[in-house]
Amino acid sequence: MTYDSPHAHVPGPVFEADQLVKEYDDGRVPALRGITLRIEDGEFVSIIGPSGCGKSTLLNMLGALDRPTSGSLKFKGTSIPDLADPAKYRGQEVGFIFQAFHLLPTFTVEENVQIPMFELPWSRAQRKKRAGELLDAVGLSHRLGHLPTKLSGGERQRAAIARSLANEPGVLLADEPTGNLDSQNAVQIMDLLCRLQTEHRITLLLVSHDLHVASHANRIIRMKDGLIVSESRPGDVTHSPQA
Amino acid sequence: MNFLTIVIRSLWRRPVRTSLTLVGISIGIAAVITLVGLASGYEKSVVRQLDVIGIDVIVSNMEGGMMPKAFDESMKAEIAKLPDTEKVTTVLMQMLSVEDAPMMMVSGREWEGFTWDQLEVEEGRMPKDASEKAVVIGRLAAEVLKKKVGDTVQIETDEFQVVGIVDGQSVVENGAIILALPLFQEVSGYQGKVNFIDIKVPKNTDSGRITALCEKIEALFPEVRAVKAGEVVGTSQGFRIARAMSWSTSLLAIIVGVLGVMNTMLMTVFERTHEIGILLALGWKRRRIVFLVLCESAILGLLGGMVGVILGAGALKILELTPTIRGMLEPDLSGGLVIQAICIAVGVGVVSGLYPAWRSSRLTPSLALQG
Repeated sequence: MTYDSPHAHVPGPVFEADQLVKEYDDGRVPALRGITLRIEDGEFVSIIGPSGCGKSTLLNMLGALDRPTSGSLKFKGTSIPDLADPAKYRGQEVGFIFQAFHLLPTFTVEENVQIPMFELPWSRAQRKKRAGELLDAVGLSHRLGHLPTKLSGGERQRAAIARSLANEPGVLLADEPTGNLDSQNAVQIMDLLCRLQTEHRITLLLVSHDLHVASHANRIIRMKDGLIVSESRPGDVTHSPQA
Repeated sequence: MNFLTIVIRSLWRRPVRTSLTLVGISIGIAAVITLVGLASGYEKSVVRQLDVIGIDVIVSNMEGGMMPKAFDESMKAEIAKLPDTEKVTTVLMQMLSVEDAPMMMVSGREWEGFTWDQLEVEEGRMPKDASEKAVVIGRLAAEVLKKKVGDTVQIETDEFQVVGIVDGQSVVENGAIILALPLFQEVSGYQGKVNFIDIKVPKNTDSGRITALCEKIEALFPEVRAVKAGEVVGTSQGFRIARAMSWSTSLLAIIVGVLGVMNTMLMTVFERTHEIGILLALGWKRRRIVFLVLCESAILGLLGGMVGVILGAGALKILELTPTIRGMLEPDLSGGLVIQAICIAVGVGVVSGLYPAWRSSRLTPSLALQG
């Protein structure tokens, strides 16, 4: 593994949300109804809950993919909705992993991993070298020139993980990363994510509806109807009556 | 992989649509090349004709549109008295339908005027005198009319014998039927009238003196304009109209091209909402996405322009060989026109991409990711 995160790991919250509200359709559809949470640097946190509970919406807010309706949301003390350059934040501070992989179908695996690097002042050779290293780290060095359509689901998600690490982010936001995978591939992907998180102390926020997947985290936040209903450690949750 | 790879890969994801858009732009550019090339070719042909004959000043009345209005030939005698006029001769020129040729230049020239001098007889001879009912025809006109020495040619209601085939050293001259002025005045019904007085000034006459001569002529005869030969194309209303018509027709073709590219780019942006969402999520700045869309449309324009230039050049070549055009003018495909056309095509691409690019930059990443 050649990946090294350049982000300094200083104690303190990476994310702080206070009374975070997100409404759609002029307030007729509330998605988040007052979320307050704090996520420390290097933590691995799972957010679980039934479909439509607002967990992906929360992840979108944390990743500056959408703006909250009200409330406060900070990344290392800076208000995310007020970021001067949200693209830079998305490109360099956080990395996204999606359930549907979201690889670009007309580009090879290696090219897909290079896509986020275009905002950095790297040469073509540097981009190629780094993509090769990242794909090697996720076990895809034999698939560099393949199009995503030629890959299995597990391989696609590995490619997406490699891409999420392209710009050396300190935070990974994973939205149902095993949602489209069979159980064997799901285990492998979770092992990979856990390894990356522990080896490099990346802050990992994972959204899932699968308790087994969520149980890999150090902390589990449970959501329902746009609210956090409980927080626990994996051992607690598996024995919780709500589980 | 570099940025250009992304641009080109995006364009070739829908090869049929991209190709059809290219065809749309290239037709517009081909129209520019053809129409402007024809107009410009006509101008160059005339300039060359004047140069070959050695005309320094042309006196005419351009109110008549493409062909100057006829005026009294007696004006020549007065002009000939002016200083700096070495040779003065009169011409009556008309565009007529001659036999199977829908348009042909027929030039009645004052007998023994200097406008006969540069004609080189290739076959046959020159008319014996102004009264001989004969014509000489330029070699291109001979090909178009399928005439040889000894044949007759019908001009208006009268028949003339072809006594010679000549090389006039310019396309306009070679595409013309040339005869003595009185014969043409009679057959065309313009007795005593001409529509050009051509003046040759003594060698080494400076430009200022030629300008002064023009001013004197216009002062003496306010109904005509005296123009230096080199300025005829620039000042002639007929040429201006031809140029304006060619550009305005081309503009319509260009507008069609703009709409075509804009439609394609809008479709592309709509179709790629999801992809744009991914790029935004991966940290691409909005201005990079705008640049991507603009580059795609500019490259569409560039490729369309290049294909259009090839199509336009082909069309000019075909027109050059068409009997209607042949001998009238030599189409001009200058480097300047090619560069101008390609710049227009790229401009069309960029302008057409502005709105789709703006649309793409307004997408909310989370919504775009949902497609």
